Amino acid sequence: MPREIITLQVGQCGNQIGMEFWKQLCLEHGISKEGILEDFATQGGDRKDVFFYQADDQHYIPRALLIDLEPRVINGIQNSEYRNLYNHENIFVSDHGGGAGNNWASGYHQGEQVQEDIMDMVDREADGSDSLEGFVLCHSIAGGTGSGMGSYLLETLNDRYSKKLVQTYSVFPNQMETSDVVVQPYNSLLTLKRLTLNADCVVVLDNTALNRIAVERLHLSNPTFAQTNSLVSTVMSASTTTLRYPGYMNNDLVGLLASLIPTPRCHFLMTGYTPLTVERQANVIRKTTVLDVMRRLLQTKNIMVSSYARTKEASQAKYISILNIIQGEVDPTQVHESLQRIRERKLVNFIEWGPASIQVALSRKSPYVQTAHRVSGLMLASHTSIRHLFSKCLSQYEKLRKKQAFLDNYRKFPMFADNDLSEFDESREIIESLVDEYKACESPDYIKWGMEDPDRALTGEGNATGTVDPKLADEVARSVSNFKEFETTLHKANLATSVIWGVIQEYI
Amino acid sequence: MDSVACPSTPRWNVERPFLTGRFHQFVFNSTFFGLLIYLNSPGSENPVGCYHASVQELLVIDDLLSALVGIEGRYTSIKRVRGNDGQVTFQVDASMDLALQELTKRIFPLCENFLLINQFVESRSQFKNGLVNHAFAAALRALLLDYQAMVAQLEHQFRLGRLSIQGFWFFCQPMMGSMQALSTVIQKASANNFTGSAVLNLLQSQAKAMSGDHAVRSLLEKMMQSASSAYLGILERWVYEGVINDPYGEFFIAENKSLQKESLTQDYDAKYWKQRYSLKDGIPSFLANAAGIILTTGKYLNVMRECGHNVQVVPMLESSKLTSFESNHHYLECIKAAYDFASGELLNLIKEKYDLMGKLRSIKHYFLLDQGDFLVHFMDIARDELAKRLDEISVEKLQSLLDLALRTTAASADPCHEDLTCCVERTSLLKRLGTLKDLEINKPISDSNDLEEPVSITGLETFSLSYKVRWPLSLVISRKALTKYQLIFRFLFHCKHVNRQLCGAWQIHQGIRAVNTRGTIISRSSLLCRSMLKFINSLLHYLTFEVLEPNWHVMHGRLQTAKSIDEVIQYHDFFLQKCLKECLLLLPELLKKVEKLKSICLNYAAATQWLISSSIYLPKPEVVPSIGSEKSKPWRSRNKVQALKLTAEDATTATESLLKFEREFNGELQSLGPILSNSSQAEPYLTHLAQWIIGVGNDQ
Repeated sequence: MPREIITLQVGQCGNQIGMEFWKQLCLEHGISKEGILEDFATQGGDRKDVFFYQADDQHYIPRALLIDLEPRVINGIQNSEYRNLYNHENIFVSDHGGGAGNNWASGYHQGEQVQEDIMDMVDREADGSDSLEGFVLCHSIAGGTGSGMGSYLLETLNDRYSKKLVQTYSVFPNQMETSDVVVQPYNSLLTLKRLTLNADCVVVLDNTALNRIAVERLHLSNPTFAQTNSLVSTVMSASTTTLRYPGYMNNDLVGLLASLIPTPRCHFLMTGYTPLTVERQANVIRKTTVLDVMRRLLQTKNIMVSSYARTKEASQAKYISILNIIQGEVDPTQVHESLQRIRERKLVNFIEWGPASIQVALSRKSPYVQTAHRVSGLMLASHTSIRHLFSKCLSQYEKLRKKQAFLDNYRKFPMFADNDLSEFDESREIIESLVDEYKACESPDYIKWGMEDPDRALTGEGNATGTVDPKLADEVARSVSNFKEFETTLHKANLATSVIWGVIQEYI
Repeated sequence: MDSVACPSTPRWNVERPFLTGRFHQFVFNSTFFGLLIYLNSPGSENPVGCYHASVQELLVIDDLLSALVGIEGRYTSIKRVRGNDGQVTFQVDASMDLALQELTKRIFPLCENFLLINQFVESRSQFKNGLVNHAFAAALRALLLDYQAMVAQLEHQFRLGRLSIQGFWFFCQPMMGSMQALSTVIQKASANNFTGSAVLNLLQSQAKAMSGDHAVRSLLEKMMQSASSAYLGILERWVYEGVINDPYGEFFIAENKSLQKESLTQDYDAKYWKQRYSLKDGIPSFLANAAGIILTTGKYLNVMRECGHNVQVVPMLESSKLTSFESNHHYLECIKAAYDFASGELLNLIKEKYDLMGKLRSIKHYFLLDQGDFLVHFMDIARDELAKRLDEISVEKLQSLLDLALRTTAASADPCHEDLTCCVERTSLLKRLGTLKDLEINKPISDSNDLEEPVSITGLETFSLSYKVRWPLSLVISRKALTKYQLIFRFLFHCKHVNRQLCGAWQIHQGIRAVNTRGTIISRSSLLCRSMLKFINSLLHYLTFEVLEPNWHVMHGRLQTAKSIDEVIQYHDFFLQKCLKECLLLLPELLKKVEKLKSICLNYAAATQWLISSSIYLPKPEVVPSIGSEKSKPWRSRNKVQALKLTAEDATTATESLLKFEREFNGELQSLGPILSNSSQAEPYLTHLAQWIIGVGNDQ
């Protein structure tokens, strides 16, 4: 069973969206709540083995690990009608069942404690697959377990399975309403560092945007968790369709991600989905065409990440890459026409420093799920405006940090023991440099950005006088002069950058 | 026609001229016979002129009655015309009363015509002349019987004493015209020694030429009908059963038994379908317009018979018999009906029983990669084998790996997946294309130097799939069609390989995410990697979503509505040719550029690891810290890795080679632009490719 993917769902939120995800997969593959293939599911052509394996009695078992530090959600799953679907050996609930108290440090620390148990489970699943492609982590970044323990797992997976991909579906907290988790900015920041450094791809699911979409697009006055979670599961299942229903391209996770992610750290993806419906909700059914779907996907109101950018900055924001996964009955000749139309109307603002265009993957639709619309589409995009989400996290963190609020909770744990808060500073640095990199992506000179190391440039120059061929010398010289220009603009443009600049020079 | 073995004519037919009427030809040939007849003719003693005119009349009527059936009388004689075979003239005694002589001479052509016709009938009844001649002769013989009956009646009247020479002349009138017309036909036929359809054509054209004379025309048409009945019999068996029953080689369809249906799956230039049955010269003009249909009808029936499919013969209603020649165009309707039946039945057979669409769909899965997951797995497990040099590759091993890949992926749901085999070609794709001359490749590759094989050609360049196609599907998916599929597959396969390698390079970049890469060439490298990925993905996207899928879609629609297997073959061939062309495989100049770009990508991907490790310090993969035992903070050591300054030399060479890759790649890509835009005037689809590869940013 090639190119398998193991799903880890951590924490309350992770398990909730994970459960929805498995529900959706079961529906799409015609697998019953007990994991048995339904009689009608005979059409074939799909790949169940990416996410499931078959037990001796032929029933399908998700390659999923359910991990939480408190029993509530997992008990809920174990009492639901899907209780027989999961492998019970893959369920981990901490013995004391006390949770992580919304404390990242607690979650991280507990993760360290139970590391062996969990890695045993991961190893067992990994050994059970022929050629493991990677891991998918579902969690939220605000709470305690998902963020803290999730962070720990990310680091461990990265160490132990350095050749495997790690993709996360990370739920970002709702910034619009006051959260019951006051330390959310701390948790987010610390998790973001791991997401930046230890994940290959992060699909950002912004609760603010999800709520907005539920209210505005689906006209639900007070969206429940179940309803927003079903949005998430739709996105998750749609983003894996090319793996589950093989087509011409993007049949493996690495191919899917490699085309989307430009540089190792800029791996945060935003998503959009259309047409959206929530279960049992009779929406107005409209005509869906490829062009229509693609056009809607580009509208900000359909995008599941809210943009905090001010208008001036928003106009600077650019797409780095877009992949549209179109599902359903599509006349292939329409695709080119639609792309042409979008190009003519200049509906997409792409980066200027490299080739970019909308990629399209056509995928089959599950024959077992009846939908009112003929065509539906998911957009996975790398967009520079996502930096504003991180900036927002940073500014919230700064506010809290200035007041030195709630830090005691963290000092209790070894990482922050002895009032050692350098972890916070380091995380902040990394997130700032990430924001910075995304910002640099908006300029046409991004290609020079990575090279801006005066020391390195000097070395180049020194050599250029010697044996290096004149072309290369020119190139280097140009890049040096460009770099100098860029440096000055940078200094003018943003004060924050200069802070980082200082940091960088410290390293040098 | 020499090849046609026919029974020989019995000896007596040749040896006894008096039995067949051939003696007239000999009569004047030898003096002996001439003398004999001269002596035997009693009237020669007393010239007729010495009798009274009324007696002369009686004598000449008596003589004429004999002459009508080809026997000389006392005062009438037969002379052979010199230099004209078989042509005879009657002469009458010159001393006869002039009025009588005149009347007699008027009657003589009838006698001459009788002789001609009789002679024709006798000679054409021989086996070697073929069925049409036999039938024609038989019809003539029937006519001659009537004629002889007329002569007998005249004689009866004569015996009763009621027949005057004027009466004689009067009674002969109806026969004169028809006999004259027939003898013209016969003269033409025997002069050219017509057989088969030529006779039919002659009869028909003669009937048309005589259309003013109603009686003659209907007579000729009747002759034509009788003569063609045998021919239509052959035709009937052909269009209803697909059998050629043509002992004398008269039919206009020839079968070339040396072309075997097996050649379809083996021979690239198989001619089976085009030449197994073919039209010959000499199509009867009344069938000329329908000849094509007739040929295909029987061809289809033969295919079905070859399949072991019991051809349900059209119920032999009286109305569908071709030989019943009632209304003018009835036979055409019958042929049309038979054609509709045969083509419908065959199409049904191929589509339903042999599941043509299923096969094509399965070929599409494998050769056009429309379900590419098996390939991903196959390339995973066969990586090492494919990377070997050409002569070290074990095809058996690849085959077993392929089987494994097919069994474990979505392909296992396809019942046809066992027909897939793999093979390793000897040459690179470019060279292979050069050897296929008939693909209408735009420009012959001018300099052969470019065709030099890369020294280290591996399985990745030469791997190809093959597919077992069985009769009768091999009609559609012939060796040639399969070869075209293979060409497309090899191109796609190599693109996929490049894509995989670049994905690998991308993953290497991902691996050093945690390291601070500012100030190194890493980010530049990752952008180059992105550009390359973008290029190869765009190319693949163009090939699949812009070329293969839409064209397939169109072909699929056409096949659904196709009326006959020929249309199916035509649409399928058209699809393949269009795909080949739009996949750049027929544009060597462009293809070479693309290959160059791909090889730069491959070189870069191979060098990535070295590039990165020589430009930054990479921590050795640590032993996973045993958590718990270590009180020191392990996370620090993980994250605090810095870009360590390596020796300047290493880093510079790395920078240099990265810039070289970048320059080469961008240079090639830029030079692709003008080529694409130049060619796109002739080949509009190239604008699509240009838009994909060169991108929006650069061409606006």
